[in-house]
Amino acid sequence: MLVTFKYLAKDTPIHRLDPRAKFIFLLCFLFSVTQFWDLRLLLVFFGIAMGYYALAQLPFRETRRAWFFMVFFAVVLVGINSLFVRGGRRFETEHVLLRLPLLSLPLTAEGLVFSAGMIARMLSIAAIALTLPFTINPQLYGVAFRKLGLPDHFAFAMDLAFRFVPTLARDFFLTLDAQKARGYEVERLRGGPIAQIRKLAPLIVPVTINAIVGGEDVVNALDLRCFGVTKRTWLHELRYTRWDKAVIAFSLAMLIASTAANLLGYGDFWLPPVVVGLDSGA
Amino acid sequence: MERRSLWAVGTREVVYMAIGAALYGVLSWVFNIFLVIPGTANVAVRPPVVLPLFFGAVFGPWVGFFTGFVGNIIGDLLSGWGFWLWWDIGNGLMGLFAAFALFSIKRNYALAELWAAIGVIIGMGLASISEMWVSGATMQAVIIENFVPAAATNLVNGLILLPILLAAYMAVAGRTGR
Repeated sequence: MLVTFKYLAKDTPIHRLDPRAKFIFLLCFLFSVTQFWDLRLLLVFFGIAMGYYALAQLPFRETRRAWFFMVFFAVVLVGINSLFVRGGRRFETEHVLLRLPLLSLPLTAEGLVFSAGMIARMLSIAAIALTLPFTINPQLYGVAFRKLGLPDHFAFAMDLAFRFVPTLARDFFLTLDAQKARGYEVERLRGGPIAQIRKLAPLIVPVTINAIVGGEDVVNALDLRCFGVTKRTWLHELRYTRWDKAVIAFSLAMLIASTAANLLGYGDFWLPPVVVGLDSGA
Repeated sequence: MERRSLWAVGTREVVYMAIGAALYGVLSWVFNIFLVIPGTANVAVRPPVVLPLFFGAVFGPWVGFFTGFVGNIIGDLLSGWGFWLWWDIGNGLMGLFAAFALFSIKRNYALAELWAAIGVIIGMGLASISEMWVSGATMQAVIIENFVPAAATNLVNGLILLPILLAAYMAVAGRTGR
């Protein structure tokens, strides 16, 4: 079986962005959106994230598995937890909209709004994070991280890791086929969880040990070429365009503005008056 | 013989960082997509989690950290799951702490298991706690929903497979004189 990265070579504004600009945008967005609890502001971030995601023009069939997981996580785990626990926050007065039958749990206006905000926050982060694998060419990760300040050795290791992926995936499936030919049934691992994990050793051990033994040849080859003696040059050069600079400037402005707003006391929890009006008094 | 620092990064470390990360990424992808072992709603059961622990124990803290950190990124890129920095760092920390067993010098399996367990608890603990910051969840919620399933499955996977891998590596290392 061939292993392929999820990268889709398309010509969209997001694909054209420098990988460094995308990482900087993701980090600034993450550190900005997590400073707010106000649903109005979180919906602004949600709009920015969805706009960014839409610009990447990713086909749904490629992303549906990830979206299914993210929506489930955001709505079921984060949403329901926020609805009743509200991040551990205590409000002076709570407006009960209704009481759930059987458990008699109160569904409050505060819980509902808090939960909507947290779902918007999680889905915003997910939308930005999900675009990365589909819009960054795997050949550019090493040089991108080098240009972001990672030392040469680590950036080279990252580049090398991406190049090893197809070889090691092929080795894994060869090992799997070889073990199956000996009667190993990975699809039918019997026993409890511990027994099942132990039975995976015939797959994991040979692949790992073979890779380590083969790695000695790579070490020798690199040493013979005087690896690490001088500063490295890279096959792919990255240069910022006007758009990259604009995205980085926007990202930094967003982070600075968010931090300033947070320090000045803006962006805390906000309860829309319309929801308060729904108080049942239960 | 010259004694190298635990934190030194030379050609050997660079190559094993790359191999460890690529292996962890590929095997994570295989166990995320093809050979799925049922876990909880938001935490996957991944036997390959032994790899950062093993590479850390044998090749040092940077190799362990890199294997977990970059390997988790590669696994998520292959699976199309995006980029989740705090879980990547958590995976890296597992490998980093596993290195403090100094297995390549002391060859003590119990110590390797102990440091691997410490690494899993610290790595998954940090990643889980960052969910409080990201998703606004309570400490109780992240412990129940994130930390316990992630740490428990990683501990079981890691602690069962780590001595098997270490023993296999020692056999090869002994034969080749490394």
